[in-house]
Amino acid sequence: MSSVAPEQMPTPSTDGLAAHCIGAIKIYGKGDTEVHALRGITIGFPKGQFTSIMGPSGSGKSTLMQTMAGLDRLTSGETFIGDTPISSLNDKQLTILRRQKIGFIFQAFNLIPTLNTRENITLPLDLAGTKGDTSWIDQVIETVGLADRQTHRPNELSGGQQQRVAVARALASRPDIIFGDEPTGNLDSKTSAEILSFMQQAVKELGQTIVMVTHDPRSASYTDHALMLTDGQITQEIPNPTTDSVYQAIQSLEN
Amino acid sequence: MLKLVTRGISASKGRLALTMMSIIFGVAFVSGSFVLADSLRSVFDKVSEDIFAGIDAQVRALPPEIANTDNEIRFDESVAATLADVEGVDEIEPGISGFELVYSIDDNGEVIRPQGPPVLMISWAGPSSISGFELIEGEAPTGQQVALDVAQAEAGGFEVGEIVEISTANGSIEEFELAGTVEFGSPGAFFILFDLPTSQRVLGAEGLLDGIAVSAQEGISSAQLVENLQAAAPDSVEVISADTAIGEIQDEFGSFIDIFGNILLGFALVTLFVSIFIIYNTFAILVSQRTKQMGLLRAIGASSGQVRVMVLLESLVIGIVASILGLIGGLGVAAALKWLFSQGGGSFPEGPLELKPRTIIVVMVVGVLVTILSAIIPAFKASRISPLEAIADVGAGERSMRFRIIAGSIVLIPGLILLGLGLAGTSGTTSGVLAFLGFGSVLTFIGVAMLSALFAGKVAAALGSPVEAARGTVGRLARDNASRNPQRTSATATALMIGLALITGVSVLASSIKATFNDLLGDALAADLFIFEENQGLTFSPVLADQLQALPEVETAVGFSEFEGLVTLPGAAEAESDGVSSFDTATGSRIVAVDLLEGSLASDGIAVREDTAADNNLSLGQTITVSFDDEVPLDLEVVGIFDQGTILEGNYIVDRQVSSPHINVDSIDFVGVDYAEGVDTDEARASVDEVAAAFPQLTVQDNTEFQEGVEGQINSLLLVINGLLGLCLIIAFFGIINTMALSVLERTREIGLLRAVGTTRQQLRASIRWEAVIVGLFGALLGVIMGVVLARAGIAALPEGFITAVAIPWVSLAVYIALGAILGVVAAFFPARRAAKLDVLEAIATI
Repeated sequence: MSSVAPEQMPTPSTDGLAAHCIGAIKIYGKGDTEVHALRGITIGFPKGQFTSIMGPSGSGKSTLMQTMAGLDRLTSGETFIGDTPISSLNDKQLTILRRQKIGFIFQAFNLIPTLNTRENITLPLDLAGTKGDTSWIDQVIETVGLADRQTHRPNELSGGQQQRVAVARALASRPDIIFGDEPTGNLDSKTSAEILSFMQQAVKELGQTIVMVTHDPRSASYTDHALMLTDGQITQEIPNPTTDSVYQAIQSLEN
Repeated sequence: MLKLVTRGISASKGRLALTMMSIIFGVAFVSGSFVLADSLRSVFDKVSEDIFAGIDAQVRALPPEIANTDNEIRFDESVAATLADVEGVDEIEPGISGFELVYSIDDNGEVIRPQGPPVLMISWAGPSSISGFELIEGEAPTGQQVALDVAQAEAGGFEVGEIVEISTANGSIEEFELAGTVEFGSPGAFFILFDLPTSQRVLGAEGLLDGIAVSAQEGISSAQLVENLQAAAPDSVEVISADTAIGEIQDEFGSFIDIFGNILLGFALVTLFVSIFIIYNTFAILVSQRTKQMGLLRAIGASSGQVRVMVLLESLVIGIVASILGLIGGLGVAAALKWLFSQGGGSFPEGPLELKPRTIIVVMVVGVLVTILSAIIPAFKASRISPLEAIADVGAGERSMRFRIIAGSIVLIPGLILLGLGLAGTSGTTSGVLAFLGFGSVLTFIGVAMLSALFAGKVAAALGSPVEAARGTVGRLARDNASRNPQRTSATATALMIGLALITGVSVLASSIKATFNDLLGDALAADLFIFEENQGLTFSPVLADQLQALPEVETAVGFSEFEGLVTLPGAAEAESDGVSSFDTATGSRIVAVDLLEGSLASDGIAVREDTAADNNLSLGQTITVSFDDEVPLDLEVVGIFDQGTILEGNYIVDRQVSSPHINVDSIDFVGVDYAEGVDTDEARASVDEVAAAFPQLTVQDNTEFQEGVEGQINSLLLVINGLLGLCLIIAFFGIINTMALSVLERTREIGLLRAVGTTRQQLRASIRWEAVIVGLFGALLGVIMGVVLARAGIAALPEGFITAVAIPWVSLAVYIALGAILGVVAAFFPARRAAKLDVLEAIATI
């Protein structure tokens, strides 16, 4: 009993993390077409923080988000939502996990075109068969400024308003963590700023945890923490990023 | 979640409306079949009750085991006198009737008859509580007088008091004064009424009756009356209550209506079967178009089960709505079918359309089940959509093709085996063979439909290459689009394939029957003229043959009958009912070829058909016992064995002299006439026509006319069948519109791109039209091939000798294939226009 097995080795506490992954590897395709999207990433996302994942196209930032969120499976390694390892979950368990603990904001196609604003926001709750916390939902809708747009259909809303609905939907079930995939990628800079402020507000005032994939240094400046990804590996971590510090980080990467 | 479903449905109203059309058509056809049959049944039920209004008991001849007549069995009129004083009898009316034996004749010498229903001659003693007839004008007929129903009098333009010519069952035309007109709550039949003695004379049935209607005195029950009458009646008759008589008539009508209704239902089910493929295809496309949306739902927490249920719920709602509309549409279909058949020469009694609860339940269940069934595979596909689809394009796996090969083979192989078993005649009975062939065909259709996706791409590309050669880039686009999604092309083409396969199959069968018939006619019939009743194949008096034989221009005139006889074979314990052909054996074979393999057609013996003799080890010299209507056993020696290849249908042949004394009302099916040598055929024909004019219901035809007549009958039957199958084509047509419209929608961005780089509207429209033509041609080609193969297989499965010549109607097949292309062009009209109208910028911006 003199040696200690690796799995019994003390690991850093994960108590304060909303999600984390250990040795995450993702390989697409086989043989000649093999693409290593993630090359062994170990990272945690602290609760109550707004984190951005930065990186050039093909750096693996979207793959990292998708596997963290249980939308896609890792080739090897493990991801956790809270303390729950998700690689062993079956489709049904994953669905329930997404429903209860995860929120999503996508770049586009966030809303069901046939449902109105409020129906879109409560959709995850409806799918779960619960009514949710009505006063919380009202508060969320109020916060994102859609109180007078509740019965509008998506095609009657501007792009910015649609994205605010998506943010509200992600918040509606008070998930443990919200993942955003370029949530402002399709918006002009003024509207982007508005949405990012809302997300910042949700973290600071409502205590939510948000992880956002972006390639825009200005977006990253709204977050508490920026991760730089290159070729499937984390190459830099920038606490309290500003537009300039992120620019510099990108510059240094390119050199 | 229900909200998602209903909103989804209302958002894609247009495309779902097209899908619904195919369900509505199929369901309406099913509902129409039920409604029509129920309506007919209720009218006939009412009529049966009317006939016996006021009557409590009916006396009739004891039904014999076999009766070679369309008419009631007759008995001696003395029975009426015997029963008149029975206790409880109030009114008693002895009567006799003739079914299609007596007709009134118009100024042109033509028989006056309704279309469809029969002409009935009935003896009538005048208005009474037990007579169903109501006198409208004039009075009841006596002596040389007649009464006609109002409709018949109108048809002939007869006024009361006028002289009317009547053709009697004896082959003579007599003049009667029209004494009055009557009405009867009838299903359109025509009535000719005489008093009893005249009726008996006109029918050649002096001293005979075929029924006695009796009403009971006050306080006497119907059952009591029946009992009293039966006790007093001789053994030759039986007494039944009016209720029993009504029940018998209703059953008889009912079984006819059932057959008719079932045939319609069969066509309706074929239509529904075809629409399954269209519904399936629409749901498959709708699911693939909403892949992103379903991915999003999965990402935000919808389980795969919820997605599946959503699609199924959608199909449930559509199924319910379409079935309700189809149910209502069924009333229209019933009315349309009534009209269609009346145009085709049939006629239906007037009456309201009946929508029974049974119809509603069956139609709703069938319509909804079919819709859900069609949506099951798309629903499972939807449930497999990955949540990742919400953000990324995940390519569809190769798995579905492999699945198709396996699943298609699983369906096709048993289908082919069933077909094979049917062809080999494993089941023995005809209905068994048909069941094998039917199920086999259904499975084969589904199997081919599934597997056709494997080659749809290649075939569509091949069909498209001439288009590309002719139309350059436009053709190239059409060809590529038609072949790029083989599954969709094959599913779209499937509906057309099934419709055209059935139509082709029926056409091949019909042309083969015609060819077989012509072969037969050339070899087997030697007569100069044929005389027969064309409309319903009614029998008629043998007197005509005797009258024609007496003409100097005629060498031979022979009447032919096929009677039902009870045949006891040597050593057999039981007699079996079988067909016995009867004619003058000395001269008959000059009219109809009967090749004797052994022996002769001696007039006092019996000849046996080759296969019947072989099956029962019969040889010359054995004795067969045969009895006819009067049940007198006749011991007949086997004197000959004849070849199968004759148009005579009976398994046995006896001489007319053997059968005649034992047949209740002697009758013949047709007369064949051979002219005397050297006579002028035109003059001879004129003489024959003159004699035959006394039987105005009959048609005189020479060989060519006969052949044309039969071909005409086959053609009009073909027309009705293809008309009913045509619904499948309409559904297939909607299927092509639907698929093209959805494809255009799906390719919005691509179309925008094509327009942006310089494709003109005309070019775009042309490419979409050509695409539809290629799909249509693919379906038509597949259908025609399947149709020919199935028809060929069906012919092989039929009893030997039924169809001996196989004729492929090449011209019709070419027309069908062209029809596929035309359906494609027409179906593409709106989708093409829509595509051409798309705004370029908006189209490109569409995700």
